[in-house]
This record gives sequence, structure tokens and C-alpha cells, in this order.
Amino acid sequence: MQIYLPIAEIPVNIFLILFLGLVTGFLAGMFGIGGGFLATPFLIFIGVPSAVSVATSTNQIISASFSGLLAHFKKGNVDIKMGIFLAIGGIIGSSFGVTIFRVLQNAGQIDLVIAITYVIFLGAISLTMLSDSFRNFIDKKFGMDWHHHYDNKLKFEWLIRRIEKLPAKTYFTKSEIYISILVPIAISFGIGILVSLMGIGGGFLMIPAMIYILQMPSHLVVGTSLFQIVFIASNATFLQAVAGNNVDIVLAVLMIISSAIGAQIGSRIAYRVDAQATRTFLALLLVAICIKMMIQLFTTPENIYSLDILK
Amino acid sequence: MKFLLSFFTFLFFILSENSFCSPLISGISSNEIKVNTEFAGAQILLFGAKSDAGNVVITIRGPRKDFIVNKKENILGVWYNGERVKFKQALGFYSLFSTFNHGQLIEDSLSEYELGKNNIKFNVSSKLSPTKINEFRLKMVELMEEKKYYESQPKNINFLDETLFKIMIDFPANILLGTYIVEIYLVNNGTILSYQSIPIFVEQVGINSKITNFSRDHSFIYGLIAVVLAILVALITNYFFVKFVKK
Repeated sequence: MQIYLPIAEIPVNIFLILFLGLVTGFLAGMFGIGGGFLATPFLIFIGVPSAVSVATSTNQIISASFSGLLAHFKKGNVDIKMGIFLAIGGIIGSSFGVTIFRVLQNAGQIDLVIAITYVIFLGAISLTMLSDSFRNFIDKKFGMDWHHHYDNKLKFEWLIRRIEKLPAKTYFTKSEIYISILVPIAISFGIGILVSLMGIGGGFLMIPAMIYILQMPSHLVVGTSLFQIVFIASNATFLQAVAGNNVDIVLAVLMIISSAIGAQIGSRIAYRVDAQATRTFLALLLVAICIKMMIQLFTTPENIYSLDILK
Repeated sequence: MKFLLSFFTFLFFILSENSFCSPLISGISSNEIKVNTEFAGAQILLFGAKSDAGNVVITIRGPRKDFIVNKKENILGVWYNGERVKFKQALGFYSLFSTFNHGQLIEDSLSEYELGKNNIKFNVSSKLSPTKINEFRLKMVELMEEKKYYESQPKNINFLDETLFKIMIDFPANILLGTYIVEIYLVNNGTILSYQSIPIFVEQVGINSKITNFSRDHSFIYGLIAVVLAILVALITNYFFVKFVKK
């Protein structure tokens, strides 16, 4: 069944979109990520203009992240003070990102930049996750303790020492850390730019940053990350709608409803399955998307000429 | 059914007239294409009659828009958009029907009417050399054909008898919105004996047009609605799942 999208100005298969929303929502519920890294490339792939894909994905991320946030709020796993500082940096960063997006779009290089950022960030994160999973597997199987030799926190020691010298320090009661407010603002500023550029929530970058750089307790990481994503994604969606008229509300509604349902299912299944196995699965999924993007960058295109229609 | 009815009304109309005021007369089944949520392409029937010797040529031209053709180049194995040419206010649709025999060229003297896709004029803004621009021009037509905006081959016109003809015009699902012009020419020995033009309006209707207009006129509220809607849906789904689906 086809439905014609008013802003994207193309017809899409309604069931395909509902399925996509369900899958991204499922991942959101299961892993505490927005699922935008899956939705945005897929929408572009089925012919939705890249500007509309990115803007509409951020709209869907609000709902998926908010669903997840509700569950974490109930368990008290959100550091609101930290979340607010992250949101401030993220809102500035994502506003800046929307501007960069428009400049790149006018220069005809947005698809290239989207593909390169996907390859770099998904590649780095997925390989780290995979090697972690592999080490865990070895540990369990052979009773070795590789973690002792490969402590990720040690890698960031030089950075953390420098961070300690920064001014404007404050105490985050919930996380029990004493750190400069400039650090969360700077981190989320950078990730905020990527949110607008890639149409993602940025959870898969924010979560490692919170663990290794902010050194937050791991039980607060996912909830706090979701908290700030809701703000960043809302800001990005709003700006894309006002500045570029890129949010397709019909496409968004289909994805929002299906992903909210998917998120609920995902969070329920997350309790029942082995956490390590799901992490490995997520890592493999990220690797697959990374490879798909690399193929797009490096293989000779079928047609070296392409057409843009200006509205 | 609607097509047939209007077709017979038309037949009745021309047969009841004893003589033609014009050597060419034609009509279409509809003047508008309504793009609603179920839109998946459209067909419009054109029928007509000619009372003079000569060939019939029919063109359908779509709304003018700006297009950019990008050429991918390779640096260190990475493909990126290199040279690009902008085609200002180029036709967003082009389709040609004619009674000229297959392979027979439409007279050169008619090229100023942009008959035939090789005669379509483009307004190019680029600093590239004329040969380069010509290469991009050809690619522009090719890409437009791929998207079903331009018809690659002139199509034949079906004649029901000596004078009556009909054609079926296909519009793709990814149709560009705007005003389309159907032009019917009667050509003899390189001169145009008769000419008629009929507009077709392609517009979004119903909820689609309301959404599009609202998103343009009230983008601030539209943006807020998009955000609030996402949060509301999450709240409602969560409520139902907590209430009816146990952990």
C-alpha cells in the first residue's frame, strides 16, 4: 500500500515505513539508542530526499528516546543536572549543525559528508564494541582476565588529567563526580553537530563519552543520555522545520507510532535476553551499516552523474 | 468510464457541427491532477480531430524548476560530487507524440518550438567549456528520462479513422507539482497550420495540500506540533503498555 508524502513529494510503501519504525524503536528500547543511524540511511535509500530523511528521523528519535526515558525515570536512573548541561551544549551544537547542513547541501556535498561521518564514527564505535565482546567471550571461555591489561579508562588518562585543570567546576550529586561544566557542554556540542548532520540521536557516541571522559556511574549513563537526546532532537526537528521546511509530518507520524511500539517491545525483551549477546548483535549491526556506507564511498557509482531538483 | 463518457460527448459535439472553424480541435479528459495521499501516478486522455492534411504533433511540457547535474569524481578512492551544472528554470516534464513516421525527423524549421527532446532549450549557468556543458546537457536529458520526467522516444498517435485521434498521457508517481501545458500542432511542409494549447494543473489536494501549506505558512507552529506529537505518542504508548502488557 502506497502513501504519498506531502513534503517529500514521493509515494512510499506504508508497511515498509511502519516496519522500519518498529525495528528502530525496538533497537531504541533494547539498547537505549535512538536508532537514527539505521532509519536515516534507509529513508535515503528508498528515495526520500536526504534533507527530509535527516529531519524526519530526528523527529522519530524524540519519541523513541522519550519512551526509553520514561522507564529510566521510574527507576531513578537519570542525573538531571548533568542532563541539563549536556542539553545546553547539544542545543547549541545541533543549531550549529543545521546551519552546516544547509551550507553542505548548497555545495552538493551533503551526501559525501553524511557517508564519511557514518563510516568514521560507526566504524570506531562498532570495532571497539566488537573487541570488547570478543574479550568478554574469551574471558568467560578460558577464564583469562584481559580487562586488566586493556583498561579503556587508562587510555583517556591524559585527557582526564587535563580536564581536572579546567575552571567552573561543580559537584554532580547524583553521579557523585566533581567536574568542570565545560566538559559536558563541549562533548554534547560536538555530538549535537553530528545529530543535525547525520539524523541520529548520538547515543552511541554519548554513552562511551559519559563512561570514559565524564566517568559517570554506568547505571546512570543510558537514562541521562536519553534525557539530553530528547532536548537535542527536539531542537534539531524544530529548526529543520522552521529553517528548511524539511520535516514530513506524515512520514514522521508513521515512524513515531511504530517506533514507540517497537521501543516498548524492545525494552521488555531486553530483560529476558543475555546482555552480552545483544551488545555483540548491536556491534555487528553497526559494522554492517558502516560497511554499506564504505561501499557507497569507494565503489564506482552505477551512474557517475546525478540529478538534484531544487525546490 | 469517465473517459469514455467525455469522449462520446466530444464526438457528438464535433459531429453535430457541419464544418470546423479550425482545422484542428481537441480536448482532454481532465484539466487537473489531484495529488492526494493515495496518489500513484495518473493518466489523462487527449482526443481530437483534424480536417486538413498534415501531421499532428502533441507536446506536454511540465513546470519549470531549477535542476543541478552533478558529476562524481574520485579522490584517493572516494567518490564525491565534482563538476556540477545548474539548469535554471528547465522543463520538469517533457513528452512528445506525433504522426511523423518512426525515424523521420521533425522539420528543422520547427526546432524553435522545442519539438523533440534534442531541441529542448536549457538556460545553463556554469563556467565550464561549451563541450563540457553539452555533455552535461545530454546527461540532464538522460537523468530526466530515468526519472520518467522526459519521454525518451516520440510516441505514435492513434487514429480511429481519417480525422479522429486519441492519445494517453502518462504522469509518473514522482510527478513535479505545477502547471503543465499540452500543445497540439498541425504541421504541413514545415509550417504550422493550426495550434491549440490546454493547461493541466497538478496540485496537492485534501489533507496533503493543507499540510504543505501549513508547514510553509506557519513553520514555527508546525515545528512545535512535530515535537509535541512525538512526545505525546510516546506517553500514550507507554501508558497502554504499562497498563495492558506486563513486564
